[in-house]
Amino acid sequence: MRGMASDLLLILLTAGFAFAASVPFLIIPILIAPKNPNKPKETQYECGQVPSGGGKFSLMMQYYAYLLMFVAFDVMSMFLFAWGISLYTVGLSGFLAVILFIGILLIPLGFTLYHAARRELW
Amino acid sequence: MPIIRTLTSFLIRIVALIIVILVLGLIAILAAYYFIGPSFPLTPSMLINPQEAIAFTFALMDTDFFRIVVFPGFTFVALYAAIAGLWERKLLAKIQLRVGPLYAGKFEGILQPIADVLKLLFKELVIPRVVDRFFFIAAPLLTVTIATAAIAVIPVTERWVIARSDVGVLVIFAVLGFFPITALMAAWSSNSRYPMLGGLRALHQMVAYEIPLILSVLAPVVFAGSLNLIDIVEKQSSIWFALLAPISALTFYICSLAELERIPFDLPEAEPELVSGWLTEYGGMNFGLILGIAVYIKLYVLSALFTTLFLGGWLGPQPLPPEFWFIFKTFIVTTFLLIPRGVFPRLRIDLLLRQSWAVYFILALINLVVAAAAVLGGFKL
Repeated sequence: MRGMASDLLLILLTAGFAFAASVPFLIIPILIAPKNPNKPKETQYECGQVPSGGGKFSLMMQYYAYLLMFVAFDVMSMFLFAWGISLYTVGLSGFLAVILFIGILLIPLGFTLYHAARRELW
Repeated sequence: MPIIRTLTSFLIRIVALIIVILVLGLIAILAAYYFIGPSFPLTPSMLINPQEAIAFTFALMDTDFFRIVVFPGFTFVALYAAIAGLWERKLLAKIQLRVGPLYAGKFEGILQPIADVLKLLFKELVIPRVVDRFFFIAAPLLTVTIATAAIAVIPVTERWVIARSDVGVLVIFAVLGFFPITALMAAWSSNSRYPMLGGLRALHQMVAYEIPLILSVLAPVVFAGSLNLIDIVEKQSSIWFALLAPISALTFYICSLAELERIPFDLPEAEPELVSGWLTEYGGMNFGLILGIAVYIKLYVLSALFTTLFLGGWLGPQPLPPEFWFIFKTFIVTTFLLIPRGVFPRLRIDLLLRQSWAVYFILALINLVVAAAAVLGGFKL
């Protein structure tokens, strides 16, 4: 039974091997593919029109509320992971405490979804 | 580098390529011999004595090197990705009453993946002038790297795992959390409007569908009592978890469609709307790395995870080996993940996000609470 450090090392080795095996895929086209740079090919693509304006424009992030909800509920799901494996240890009182925790967190979710349905903006 | 215009310059480059491959191959073989050589020596007496060669081969199959490179590791997954690519095109063609790739290879276009890879290798690697070069080239490499890191904990059998981790499920989700970042990196570095819109939509979609994915995975974890994927499969020997937690299985299936950016959650790559979404500026092998290899590796990861968590992994009737059962079940799950592309229309972005939070989150949560209540009430596996 190996320790935790050697498992992580194996995962990193797998990732490293994948990286090392996909680098030749980029080197080979550089060596043998034709290179005919001309101006229309190297500008960005805008469906055939001449691109105007910068690429990074100021965008209304109207769905940012979903990202905020993700941050909060990701933390909740980490706690649910810990609860899920230790079910027998915490027993019935732990179960009720977690139900209360989930219930308290569902109130902002209901509020957000009510506003999403009402305002039709996000 | 000068422009290739004549046959002789092309041939010179091909010869240079062959020499580079031979030198790199020699270095790779020397490195492999350095790492595994001292414990597994290649002796000349193996040529005469086949028993030694067989024993050497079986001993080689037990090393980590073999597992990372060949069987549950990169080569197997890359082959699965190639076959899944061909199978997707044939399957969609049959659904749409077409034929699909037919001419590459004698039997129904079976050499089409090889033809595609060769074509992409010979294509010009166009890098627009306005992009941020480092991240533009690093994003596809990172996507492939991270997708392969997730296969390190997925067990094909109890013997064929790369890393027997006690927190296997957490490793999978730690790795899946990187994909929004690489998508955004690819989108932001191509300094253009379509990729920006596509990248932000991809970020929102992948991030919104990770929470129901995590919650639907927790139901089998609660039934099995551990995060180790091998334990989860072994606890399914009497009944599969797909029958004990069907709503979680359904939610996992739908959320993996969303994580893979497949139709009906296709908005980041919507063809009539965003040209190609966050992949617009990518061409040649850059494109082939993301759309060809990384997406299908992610498909393998999620199909294998579904098989491990809900369909009983490698358990099956005895005459056929457990490796066959795992690959068979994973292949069926892959087919079900590929079919919606030919059948469903696309969801709009606000409906997509609202559906994730209003429907799938609640469903997965209900199933998790019912499963936990059943286990606490005395349900033993």
